[in-house]
Amino acid sequence: MYARRAVVAGVLALQALLLVRGAHADHKEFAYRMFPEASTWRADIVRVTTDGRRVPVDDPWPGGYRWNDLAGVRGLGNPGVRHHADAGLDNQLAFLRAALDWVAAHTPDDHETAYLEADVTYWHNVDPPARAVYRSHERPTR
Amino acid sequence: MSRLDDLLGREVPVRSLALLRTLVGPIVLLHLWPFLDDARRGRIYRDVFHQPYASWYPELPRDLYIALLVLGAIAAIAMTVGIAARAATITAFVVVTYNLFLSTTNYHHNRAYLVVVLGALALARSDDPDGVAPAWPLWLLRIEAATVYATSGTSKLLDHDWWSGAVTWERVVRVQHRLVTDTPLPRWAIDVLTDRDFHTAAAKVIIATELFIALGVWSRRTRYAAVWVAVVFHVAIEISASVQVFSYLAVAALVIWSVPSTRDRILHIDPTSPAHRRLTRAVTSLDWLARFRVESDRPPGAPIAVDDRDGTTLEGRRAGALVFSRLPLTAWFALPARATWR
Repeated sequence: MYARRAVVAGVLALQALLLVRGAHADHKEFAYRMFPEASTWRADIVRVTTDGRRVPVDDPWPGGYRWNDLAGVRGLGNPGVRHHADAGLDNQLAFLRAALDWVAAHTPDDHETAYLEADVTYWHNVDPPARAVYRSHERPTR
Repeated sequence: MSRLDDLLGREVPVRSLALLRTLVGPIVLLHLWPFLDDARRGRIYRDVFHQPYASWYPELPRDLYIALLVLGAIAAIAMTVGIAARAATITAFVVVTYNLFLSTTNYHHNRAYLVVVLGALALARSDDPDGVAPAWPLWLLRIEAATVYATSGTSKLLDHDWWSGAVTWERVVRVQHRLVTDTPLPRWAIDVLTDRDFHTAAAKVIIATELFIALGVWSRRTRYAAVWVAVVFHVAIEISASVQVFSYLAVAALVIWSVPSTRDRILHIDPTSPAHRRLTRAVTSLDWLARFRVESDRPPGAPIAVDDRDGTTLEGRRAGALVFSRLPLTAWFALPARATWR
């Protein structure tokens, strides 16, 4: 009986916590915010090289990397095209920030990029556009 | 507290959970398919951008990970076929849950709901469809299912953009060109769907629908209406949006709202009537929730009769409407007739 009580109470308490967390978390796990927004976004993503050049990720990349091959998941493909923010702006932009870091860390044959930078324009539902700039962490250079 | 303990610990027929387990098997397969298809093409989650939830979360070697996905698919089939059903359900739960938490990029609400449903099924002793088991996994699942609708509806209710219709309007307007080129919708229908005033009303209908489902399923007076509305709601979502397995899962999970008792309605037939015998065959094959006991005790020429759970007896077409309104596959069509002929 006590085990049953503990399991039921534990599951319900955990669910309640996750619902509360969902009010502020970027990724709203188990908070069930379905179709939360009609927000959209686009980004110009560049590689900033060690000598200061700003090279769009659509241009040829040392090592033959392509943005869409590396990060074309969760709505991050073709970032230059304005498209729907997957599960809301917070979720989408959190993925974009994490993707910049992941790509920076998983392009070992690129020896010229210091970091990646995304110049993001986003529209929260029908609001006027807003802008944000995100940078990946600095890559170790040789 | 003792009343709550009694409610949670009471042994009830597990028919609805056994049926849900059977229905969820193909949904698990559908869910795992994109991962298996990617693996077949030589790509798994960690070959592209992913973001582990925790650094300590174990990541398997590639071959073992793919083998785990295959094991999940086999377990899904076993769930539906009924081979080692509980072990298969636990296995499917472990595989789907492990895979979900490998990366934030794997998370979608429909997958979370699948984990919740599989978790409840794994906790329940539903191997024997005609058996009984403690009711608490069923109650937990009911609370979770209602929470999905309640949370979704409440979050929209509290969001001014949603309430005003701006969210749905903006989403439709942004795909207006695809409505014209990719759908058979006539011009006037597209004009309606892209009209701002339409969305001012439609948003409120959507919110009210979600909240009605969340609350309506708890009362026996409104439960059938809530389930009927839920089916319409999920069909509409499936047609208009890409939601992975959510529609199938949500509709399948509606069986948990059936009263956990079996064979407590009696269908009386005339065994000499070919029509009654056909009805008996239909009921026998479609009564997946074991609502009816059939007795061949009607005199020749008499219409069918049904003794309902509350002791009332219905005859003829009213009895027929009651029967078909209690069979999962025909309920959605028969419930309006039953409401009309009451």
